[in-house]
Amino acid sequence: MGCIYALIALGLSIIFGVMNIVNFAHGDFVMLSMYFTFWAGTLLGLEGVWTPLLTFPLLFLIGILTYRAIVERTLRQHYVTQIAVTVGLQLFLRAFTQIVWQAQPRALPYSIIQGQFMIGEYQIILSRLISAIVSVIAIVIVYLFLTKTWPGRAIQAASDDLDAAALVGVNYKRTYALAFGLGSALTAIAGGLLMTFQQVDPTMGMRFGLLSWCVLALAGLGSIPGLLISGVIVGGAESLSMALWDPRARSLVVYLIFILVLWVKPRGLFGRK
Amino acid sequence: MKPIRLTIKLVWILVGLAIALLIPALLGSSQYNMVLVTTVLLYAVMATAWNIIGGMAGQMDLAATAYLGLGAFTTGTLLIRWNVSPWIGMILGGFVAAGFAAFVGYSLFRFGVTEVWYALSSSALIEVLRVIFLLWEDVGGPVEKFLPFYSWSLYHMRFGSYVPYYYIMLALLLIALFVNYRIAKSKLGYYLIALGENEDAAEVLGVDARACKLKALMIYAFLVGVTGGVYACLYGFIHPNIFSGLKGTEVAILGIVGGMGIIYGPLLATLILVSGREFLRSNLSGQLESLYLAIYAVVLILIVLFRPKGIATLFQDIYENILSRIARGKNVQTNTPSL
Repeated sequence: MGCIYALIALGLSIIFGVMNIVNFAHGDFVMLSMYFTFWAGTLLGLEGVWTPLLTFPLLFLIGILTYRAIVERTLRQHYVTQIAVTVGLQLFLRAFTQIVWQAQPRALPYSIIQGQFMIGEYQIILSRLISAIVSVIAIVIVYLFLTKTWPGRAIQAASDDLDAAALVGVNYKRTYALAFGLGSALTAIAGGLLMTFQQVDPTMGMRFGLLSWCVLALAGLGSIPGLLISGVIVGGAESLSMALWDPRARSLVVYLIFILVLWVKPRGLFGRK
Repeated sequence: MKPIRLTIKLVWILVGLAIALLIPALLGSSQYNMVLVTTVLLYAVMATAWNIIGGMAGQMDLAATAYLGLGAFTTGTLLIRWNVSPWIGMILGGFVAAGFAAFVGYSLFRFGVTEVWYALSSSALIEVLRVIFLLWEDVGGPVEKFLPFYSWSLYHMRFGSYVPYYYIMLALLLIALFVNYRIAKSKLGYYLIALGENEDAAEVLGVDARACKLKALMIYAFLVGVTGGVYACLYGFIHPNIFSGLKGTEVAILGIVGGMGIIYGPLLATLILVSGREFLRSNLSGQLESLYLAIYAVVLILIVLFRPKGIATLFQDIYENILSRIARGKNVQTNTPSL
């Protein structure tokens, strides 16, 4: 679970870290991609694990469209305006999914990666294990993309110093669009993985959005390994508080950690900025 | 020119007040409509109070429902357990909310949590409170706690009709507007606007930013907390779901869309957007349940994209335009004979 959170937060950190765009609708992109996964699973009979092949480009496209239509106009605006716009987007996505898929929770009927096995005393659910592995692989690929390829390094350069990057020939408009698209597309993988063991309903977006901000706050900006660790911390805190205390207390513990970290270490545990 | 403007302004305020006072007479026959207008007023009070911390001080507080819920729970619990009148309870609720705001605000401002992170932590706060009240069975718990029912009791603030609630809400709205007005004209108001524009610069010039922000936050929390008391009586029950993150954000959005720092901006935005939304909701239900929400969201986005300074500025522009045209027209008329 934690690794998936890290994956979602990675998308957010690309969007926020590079462009300084406050995206409150990120969690709703996760929800949207979960619904797309549901569609791909029921209409096309596709397996949950393979749906990202389809939804990844789709979300990438939606991300770029969103960027061009809405976000680009608010680039030079106050962050307050960005919050307002993305909350509007959040409401829209929520309403959209309610219209198309109705309000009741949806789940995929089956998955090849079901089942569980035991390691010592601990019961491991196979779909969760595989999801964790896939998320880590995806994170590593994105990490390599950001550090080793030209467009990836352009994104990094823009995040460090936009003017300097523009001087050495980075087309920031295209870079921004790419970054927003990539950030949104990463939710497609997360959505596909989440659907293998969870159901989806339209109100989920808000929770995932806030959770990914928590992970990001914990990790600080610009550290991908930090994201992974923070994701695991958040996921672990959730499961532990559910197991040891009360199932309803899971968000309480996570948000308390979030607020404490903001108080004590405003730059996050692994931040570089 | 100036005194004329002032009287025009006064006329506007009186006309608005008259309409507000007459609404129950026009809609009073339908309780459903009364709930709707009272809900609109509820949002208006919260958004107007939000203007103090959000609009003037520029702090993106998304936790309006946290203070609303604290006020509601204080009032509701006092009434259910000790039969304390909500009239007292709502004031106490306001103090509880303000006290909580002082605690949270002090620590957040002390550690320099700003901008986005302030917004996010206030949003997280709602969820924290919701879970705490969900777990705290004596006061909250997963089952609704109903307030004692009376068909008409002033002491218990329980009325068989929604009309009294409407007037109470209206009174709260006027108080909130008045507080806004007084703050805007005071030293604190100027400090807040200064630090809302640029906190560092304001601090250099000797504004104690932390203390000012804290004061603004507490005033806002008190107003919303008192409103929470009325909210509890209006709906007749208290439940942890009052702590709704989305609604808290919505209040802030209404404040932004209305025009940050413009006193009547949030009110205007609420009147247009929330009434529009509720109108759509009651007319479109049936085939497409959530269509109203989609339309509402699109309108929101469009307003923010094309009027980032708020709809109040749009009205101001149009209004100024008309005024200057009238003035010009008058000049032309008075000038022609002499020519």
